[in-house]
Amino acid sequence: MSTAQEKLQEQLAASFTPQLADNAAVLDQILGKSADMQQRELKLCGSSEYPGVCCFVDGLADTSIIEAILKALIVFGSDLHRDPAAMPTAEEICTTLMVNASAKPCRQVRDGIAGIVSGDTLVLIQGLDEAILVSSKGWKDRSIEEPSSENNVRGPRDGFTESIRTNTAHVRRRIKDPLLRFDATVVGTRTQTDINIAYIQDLVKEGLVEEVKRRLKRIKIDAILESGYIEELIEDAPLSPFNTVQSTERPDKVASALLEGRVAIFIDNTPVVLIVPTFFWQFIQAPDDYYNRYWVGSFFRCVRYLALIISLVLPSIYVMLVSFHHEMIPTSLALTIASGREVVPFPVLLEAIMLEIAFELMREAGLRMPKPIGQAVSIVGSLIIGQAAVAAGLVSPFMVIVVAITEISSFAIPSYSSSLALRIFRFPLLIASGTFGLLGFATVFFALMLHALSIRSFGESYMAPASPFRPSDQRDMLLRMPIWMMNDRPEFAQDTKRMGEQQMPTQQTRKGG
Amino acid sequence: MTNQQTTRVQITSGMFIAMIVNLIFVKAIGVTQGVIARAVGQDMWLATLLGTLQGVAVMYITYVAIRKTPNLDFMALSERLLGKWIAKVIALIIFLFFLAGFGPIMITFVYHLQEYFLPEAPLYLFIVAPLLVGLLGCFYGLEVMARLALVGLLFIFLLNVLIIMGSTNEFDIRNLLPVMENGFPRTFAASLNFDADWALATMLAAVVLPSVKNADKTGGKNGMIGIAASGLLTMIWPILEGAVLSAEVTSQYTVSCMKLARNAHMGHFLQRYEMIMIALYSIPVLFEVMFCIYATSISAAKIAGLKSNKAMIPIVSVILGCFGYWIVDDHFRAIDYLENYWPRIALPIAFGLPVLLLMLRLMLGKKLNKA
Repeated sequence: MSTAQEKLQEQLAASFTPQLADNAAVLDQILGKSADMQQRELKLCGSSEYPGVCCFVDGLADTSIIEAILKALIVFGSDLHRDPAAMPTAEEICTTLMVNASAKPCRQVRDGIAGIVSGDTLVLIQGLDEAILVSSKGWKDRSIEEPSSENNVRGPRDGFTESIRTNTAHVRRRIKDPLLRFDATVVGTRTQTDINIAYIQDLVKEGLVEEVKRRLKRIKIDAILESGYIEELIEDAPLSPFNTVQSTERPDKVASALLEGRVAIFIDNTPVVLIVPTFFWQFIQAPDDYYNRYWVGSFFRCVRYLALIISLVLPSIYVMLVSFHHEMIPTSLALTIASGREVVPFPVLLEAIMLEIAFELMREAGLRMPKPIGQAVSIVGSLIIGQAAVAAGLVSPFMVIVVAITEISSFAIPSYSSSLALRIFRFPLLIASGTFGLLGFATVFFALMLHALSIRSFGESYMAPASPFRPSDQRDMLLRMPIWMMNDRPEFAQDTKRMGEQQMPTQQTRKGG
Repeated sequence: MTNQQTTRVQITSGMFIAMIVNLIFVKAIGVTQGVIARAVGQDMWLATLLGTLQGVAVMYITYVAIRKTPNLDFMALSERLLGKWIAKVIALIIFLFFLAGFGPIMITFVYHLQEYFLPEAPLYLFIVAPLLVGLLGCFYGLEVMARLALVGLLFIFLLNVLIIMGSTNEFDIRNLLPVMENGFPRTFAASLNFDADWALATMLAAVVLPSVKNADKTGGKNGMIGIAASGLLTMIWPILEGAVLSAEVTSQYTVSCMKLARNAHMGHFLQRYEMIMIALYSIPVLFEVMFCIYATSISAAKIAGLKSNKAMIPIVSVILGCFGYWIVDDHFRAIDYLENYWPRIALPIAFGLPVLLLMLRLMLGKKLNKA
């Protein structure tokens, strides 16, 4: 630790003194002369013997709340003819003068500073050995919008924002259960990022909350700027491309996870909430599955499973078949492929890698550019370059179709982060298939499968409920069974019963019809 | 105590059954049926059935030997009964058994893939690739291997569905007649070839049964279900091979299941889909390789007096790889080993070791209770 840090820690550990000048000097030394630091002087009850100062950060604190504080301390005190000497403690001032919803005495300099930089207002008054910390957070938030990366057709449109309290309120609004808990903690020595651990006390998997807290507690880092930082620091398989922590911007997804006995981790300054434990198959499930009728939900879930398989293996299988096992392709199809490849000078593996990389370039460029230009790049890339490449004989039309279907399939996977992992896996599979044929494909594919089977997410097997096989959880795996059939929560929940018996609607027979 | 017991790995009954099926199925459907067809013609399925019944019996004996001390495998049990050095001898027998068993597994794997799909690829690729996957699986541990076996079981079901769908058009039951043409003794003698397949499964039980949940109560039942299920899933193939290809044709091939798979077709468009079937077949065969590495590493660790088998995994992989390469490098040697040597190694151990340990338990049971 540097000398400056040591000195800072020493100052933070100190308590406030009755001398206003000393306290103000300490604040000045710690906070410096930052442009956004404001100090508003006051006189308690209008008495010049009891000067004071309000400290707050401009932009973080709500000025109307600060005005209310000043009005209470200066005007109400005078109007009520209160004697400052009769209010010897901060507690007394809070209870008799102040009208703010949240105001509390504060003895430690550390707490005062933490409050100021979080948007609260610190009130220091001559003669008091405590300060008063008033909640005045009031910065400008982004309004609630539909999550851009998790669209749905039917269902709620609200998404999380960058404010942790707004986000927790979204969930509280959905689950009005008094046993819904939000445990607070702070991570990041410099950013002091607020983190809330949400769970339903009588449902959450036993020991899970403690495990989440333990993992958060062991984080020693200066800054948490986004939930990705926390995700990487608490996950079970840090070297794996698979994400073992689910992330979402949708409050309904979080509410659903909490009701299944899982834990959500809210992080301030990000609209992305983490959910643990998570399973591989959840990345294929979309909220629409549950909001539409179960036939529709099941059908589209099957389509997504197909998309998962295509996005992972289609280019590899194509390359493998064309390079090594062309006798496996039906004759008419083989002739069509061969005629398309006649003018292509590259081996099929190279052709596939070139197209895949070209597509990744277009995707990345489209993502980073301003939206209107991004769309233009996509159109130019996909239509013009694709057409030109085929016409120039650089790639075969069949390969363009294969890569296009693969990419479309990867976008059909609801979890964007998960589809990125699949993209990464596609390349070793492609290279192995193009180099060693079926042997290479099988070796890499089963190595991947072994790896996926070996992963855990907060004590739960990542590939559950398929492996290990859990019969009761199959109702919401490959197919989405009717709501009235899904009467059990996942096995790890404390209380697995989620609904009464015989919930299937029955047709009432009319009497005397 | 072996490694998986100290780390308290627990596998479910379903996983245990799946492991048994995976271990038996791969060789039994093709390579073994070719050998049996050469001995008893169209009665392949009967020989498989007889072999299954024997397997069920030996699995039960294996379970009974372990039942009273469900936390001890054969090596740990023999240590308790007869001391450290005898346990090392038992471990050496198990090591040699799985080393010898690796030969037929490699014959199955290599001759399927190299001869039918990649004839120009060098042989060492077919040895190194499965060993690498097996090594990885072994490092992940028994639980992950068991989960893979569960996926493998699903793939075996799909494989059987595909072969049935593709073969029913040419199914001619007359090819399976007359039944028991060669008489019971010859059919029974031929069933010993299938016995050499389930021998791997009973030895698997001898090593992993202590890691199965409630092994003392349901281990025997699950083991027997595993053998019976393997027998039923396997029997579909000799029936199809006999009825579709005929016993005469089946007996001409080392890997007769591939001939059947190549023959299968659905409609006019999908004339060949054996590659899909081989893809489904890959998990069970890789599981076999993986389990051989696991069992030999466990027994080698016991012989060397190591607490963990992890250090032995690369060493035994090299030994297995060299042996496998030597076996499959020469077709005549491979077939000779498969038909003559492997049953002579497998059967005495698979039948003898459980019976020996059961007798020792009966004679020295008091010693075990005192310990």
